[in-house]
Amino acid sequence: MATHSKAVLDFSPVGKERDVQTLSRPSLSYWQDAWLRLKANRRALVSLFLVIGLLLFTLVGPWLWRVNPAAQDLDQVSQPPGVDRSALIVAPYTPWLAGEVPGTGFRLAEPATTQSVRLAWDALPGAQGHRVYRNIFPVGAERAYGIPRAEFFDNSTLTFEDRLDVKPGIYYYTLVGLNDDGSLSSETSSLTVEVQRVTTVAEARERRLVASDAALAPGDSVELALHPLGTDYLGRDMLARLMAGARVSLFIGIGAPLCFVIFGVFFGSVAGFIGGKTDQVMMRFADFVVALPFLLFMILFKIAFGIGPGESGVMPMLVALVLLMWPATARLVRGQILQIREQGYISASQLLGAKTHYLILRHMLPNTLGVVLVTLTFAIPSAIFTEAFLSFIGMGVAPPTPSWGSMSNEGIKTMLTTPHELIFPAMLISITVLAFNLLGDGLRDALDARMRNRE
Amino acid sequence: MNGTTKPVLSDDHFTRSAGKQLGLYALLALGVLAGLMTLLSFLASGSGGGASGGAIDVENNSITITLRQEPPQLDSGRSTDAASFGVLGHVMEGLLSYDKAGRLIPGVAERWEIREDGATFWLRDNAFWSDGKPVTAHDFVFAWRRVVDPETGSQYAFITYPIKNAEAITNGDLPIHTLGVSAASDTQLEVIFEQATPYFDKLVAFITFLPAREDFFKSTNGRYAADADMLLYNGPYVLTEWVHGASMRWTKNPYYWNDEKGFLDEINVAYITTDVNAKLNLFKDAQIADTDLVAPMLPEAMERRWHIDRFMDGTVFFLEFNHREGRITRNKNFRRALQLAQDPSELVYKVLKEAAYIPAESLFPSWIQGAGDLFRKQHPPIKHQMNIEKAREHLELARIELGLDTWPPIVLLSGDTPVSTLSAEYYQELFKRNLGLELRIDLQTFKQRLAKMTSGEFDIVLSGWGPDYDDALTFGDLFSSWNLNNRGRYDSAEMDGYVRIAQSELDPVKRMQAFAEIQRLSYEDVVVLPMYERGWSFVVDPRLDGLIRRTVGPEVDYTYASIKK
Repeated sequence: MATHSKAVLDFSPVGKERDVQTLSRPSLSYWQDAWLRLKANRRALVSLFLVIGLLLFTLVGPWLWRVNPAAQDLDQVSQPPGVDRSALIVAPYTPWLAGEVPGTGFRLAEPATTQSVRLAWDALPGAQGHRVYRNIFPVGAERAYGIPRAEFFDNSTLTFEDRLDVKPGIYYYTLVGLNDDGSLSSETSSLTVEVQRVTTVAEARERRLVASDAALAPGDSVELALHPLGTDYLGRDMLARLMAGARVSLFIGIGAPLCFVIFGVFFGSVAGFIGGKTDQVMMRFADFVVALPFLLFMILFKIAFGIGPGESGVMPMLVALVLLMWPATARLVRGQILQIREQGYISASQLLGAKTHYLILRHMLPNTLGVVLVTLTFAIPSAIFTEAFLSFIGMGVAPPTPSWGSMSNEGIKTMLTTPHELIFPAMLISITVLAFNLLGDGLRDALDARMRNRE
Repeated sequence: MNGTTKPVLSDDHFTRSAGKQLGLYALLALGVLAGLMTLLSFLASGSGGGASGGAIDVENNSITITLRQEPPQLDSGRSTDAASFGVLGHVMEGLLSYDKAGRLIPGVAERWEIREDGATFWLRDNAFWSDGKPVTAHDFVFAWRRVVDPETGSQYAFITYPIKNAEAITNGDLPIHTLGVSAASDTQLEVIFEQATPYFDKLVAFITFLPAREDFFKSTNGRYAADADMLLYNGPYVLTEWVHGASMRWTKNPYYWNDEKGFLDEINVAYITTDVNAKLNLFKDAQIADTDLVAPMLPEAMERRWHIDRFMDGTVFFLEFNHREGRITRNKNFRRALQLAQDPSELVYKVLKEAAYIPAESLFPSWIQGAGDLFRKQHPPIKHQMNIEKAREHLELARIELGLDTWPPIVLLSGDTPVSTLSAEYYQELFKRNLGLELRIDLQTFKQRLAKMTSGEFDIVLSGWGPDYDDALTFGDLFSSWNLNNRGRYDSAEMDGYVRIAQSELDPVKRMQAFAEIQRLSYEDVVVLPMYERGWSFVVDPRLDGLIRRTVGPEVDYTYASIKK
């Protein structure tokens, strides 16, 4: 039976080899896979870094840039970023007791400083009084002298001290004679004045511009306080205010969506899973909440909370957002649950004896998580925007607490002369909202389980 | 399987074609939008609308202007707001009025005489109503009786109190006909005083003393002065059109007697807006004849080489304390501490930066006339010096007197205008830095603020007071205990005594001394903290002549305005 023995030799047991099923790539969990896909999406990745940067700006920033956002530096009001800050130390301001001023004609009584410009003149020929004008442009043939600063209806006063918002630079002063009836005569005299930025010893010490033990005397030169992003209309540091404002904006922007999304998920999954009459009642209630006007409730809450005058309206805003914004999430989650409930694997799991809580926690919620995360990231920018809008119309934070919205509101008033007061907060609002939106977009793509094997 | 690559390709293709389509739509939308805009602007320029002719219309001798607010109604007996005063100043004329320089001149009254016990006004016979009938002394009697009539409920009834029995009638204690005013003839008006009133001539130039004709008033059936045809006019202009909430048209009054007023044939009030930016744009487009300029607009105005002018509107703004029982601000040391911790010049020069404002040094503004010269020249106010050390000492004294451990937050009531909010934020930080006090800012609209001021729901309020008539008393009696505009209920026998002297003293020098005492007391007792005297920077179309901005009387006065030929 040679054939038989040969057959024995031809076949032998294969042994316990299992590498047939070896995976060519490492096994990936749902989250690892999502992260891989998110990483591949450059837009979403940049947004993610922006969001992280923003959080650092808000939470770590104030530790690094320790400037009081409410402190007013009235020497540097509405200062754009990056201007010259050197100032000369002079004696403190004392009221001017204008006596005899040497010299003739329209002249400076003392060197012009940002503290004051002291002018003196001799009566113009035929003038029954004088008017002093100030201009930031040379006076041309149009005889547009600029801003009227003072007028005197007799010749008893021949001096004038200008202290109105004097900034370093060149001013063109014009002295115009007045006729009997107070109208302008054609007699004029002009003076070009270069103003020197100054500060006093006391102010330099108070604002800690020099080391506390450093000797300081009039005539010395110091650098005024640094404001990297400039100052606002009251001389407050823009960078510090933006950081403080970010805290309010992000508190509302992240806190409110987190709360209402959690509640929405709970409400929606209960309604969806139980179904029937309960579902009907619960969803009609959600419809009812959708119909409530947000602004009205915001005001009602403000009153109900007993928020007095001059107190922050941030808490009622949070409550109003949470109480009125959850139905969108609830509807979305309910829809998902209804869909998933009918899927084959749920029935299979049920047949294998899975309990309700296992079904919800293991199968249903993870499958809705993608949707929920996406709603969350989209809810954040809309909440930030709501906060900005409410603060813009004056319903939000109380002064001096800044928020991006209230800062924009203040900035818009001087948009043309000092645009940086509007641009910085507006830019931060835009960047934040855009970053969260793009991140939400990326997350939706990344978390969609059906996209799993697309690449 | 090549199926793995194919969908990607088709995906890519789909994206590209979708993008192309989207781009096409966007282009199309832009094109349609641009077309629509050109069409609209073409239509707008064709129809003209309310702004026809632009700012200055030389052909029709008319100008176009704006009003800040629409008058609620034009009944002089009930008007209380600047908007109504402004319009009434153009369409009505009282016994006396003002010339270009703001001096009193004859109006309907040709001449007058003020005595210790009363006054007589002789009316001119060429003053007519806009229906051609003469203005008589009876019209004044009727109008003034209406003002004091409790049924009218005029908020300005108090201004007539120098007239005999006026106060008693307003309180309902006497019948209306007992008012001390009568018509001796059609052209002679007799007034009997309650007490000597040396400034009565200045008083009758005020809106509340304008005339009204009885037969016309009765014919309006309670709609008096609510519409253009519901009012009779005796001023240089008549109101011929009044579209509520939108526009007005003032036309030259053919029956008006004075050749020195009313040179324009027509004044169009085409816009009613408080928005200074909108007004600036209209002015740039030559749609309105004049506009106000706020601080941020000045650099642009200088760059455009406009002839900027300014005037003081006479209003003084101050921080008013609540002197009611139980308020912290009732404590004098506390008020003194706040006074010493602030300096109005810093507020005006560094924070508000308005070129036409002046830091206030006293309750009395700088333009008030004294006996012969300016009041403030004769009686200079106490020079204020900021002193933080002393302020802190006073604050400590106040804390001990009040028995407090820490200071509770202080409520600072403020209006919601940009200047008010700016000032409020400045004071909040100032008092925190200098005194460690926490101020809560209560921003309210004008009406709400007034309601809260009246009910006393504040510690400190940012408020202002404008002059009603050209006399120091319009500011001087503000803090008498009986004045309802004394919102902080300041109550001092010393102050009341000086106010009584100021009201009835006939010797101008002694009277001014009483005002000087009021000025001293208001500083020493820290009744208020003066902030600034308000002024306005403005610019007028160079083709327009004779526009006047007034401290007393209608704020913007076009009655002397004419177009340059």
